[in-house]
Amino acid sequence: MSMKMNLIKRGTEGELQLNGYIDASNAAEVEKIIVDLVPKFDTLILDMEHLEYISSAGLRAFKHAYMDMRTKHGTLAAKNVSKMVMEVLELTGFTRLFKFL
Amino acid sequence: MKSLTVPAEIDQLDEVTAFIQKELAAADCPERARFQIRLAVEEIFVNISSYAYKPEDGLAEVRCEVTEDPLRVVVQFLDSGKPFDPLAREDADTSEDALMGREGGLGIFLVKSTMDSVEYAYEGGKNILTIRKNL
Repeated sequence: MSMKMNLIKRGTEGELQLNGYIDASNAAEVEKIIVDLVPKFDTLILDMEHLEYISSAGLRAFKHAYMDMRTKHGTLAAKNVSKMVMEVLELTGFTRLFKFL
Repeated sequence: MKSLTVPAEIDQLDEVTAFIQKELAAADCPERARFQIRLAVEEIFVNISSYAYKPEDGLAEVRCEVTEDPLRVVVQFLDSGKPFDPLAREDADTSEDALMGREGGLGIFLVKSTMDSVEYAYEGGKNILTIRKNL
């Protein structure tokens, strides 16, 4: 898979570093990993500093994680979002999925 | 125009992306435009792979040209599948309710939002989608 992920645990808070890209070829795998982390934390932070590219397939993965997080009244957060990834989030209204740190 | 023909299958996306990125790198395409063209190409190719021929199989041709004066990238997608104009669809609604309920439609919305022009034609039994991005 063209995406490397690294998880930092701080009690009820988890931080997942995304390294690489999320496109239609790997979005299902990335989604499974993120969604599986939701039950484990109250706050899940996605560190996007090294997320170089995302398409609508990746946005859907984020959306499914957000919906699960909302159901359990937790928080999905994002940090270090690059200008170009932020532009995609803004264009599609997906900024409202995240608390930006 | 450079051309690449591949099976219209999502597992060919890497090859299509590499083909386009190589042309863009040769043209010194700025990073932001390269990101946006990669995005548009993926969304369109995934669309063709998902809908043009299914449940049958078929081929998709991708053509790419960088023109000077004006400096512009032109990418064309051709398939012989069912006639389908992806632009006829209404623009995606990005309100919160729609965001949570909807699964499709985002891809073409992103293409329209990031490219300078997107045109659809059905000619000689082929769907032809042409995108242009000014550099």
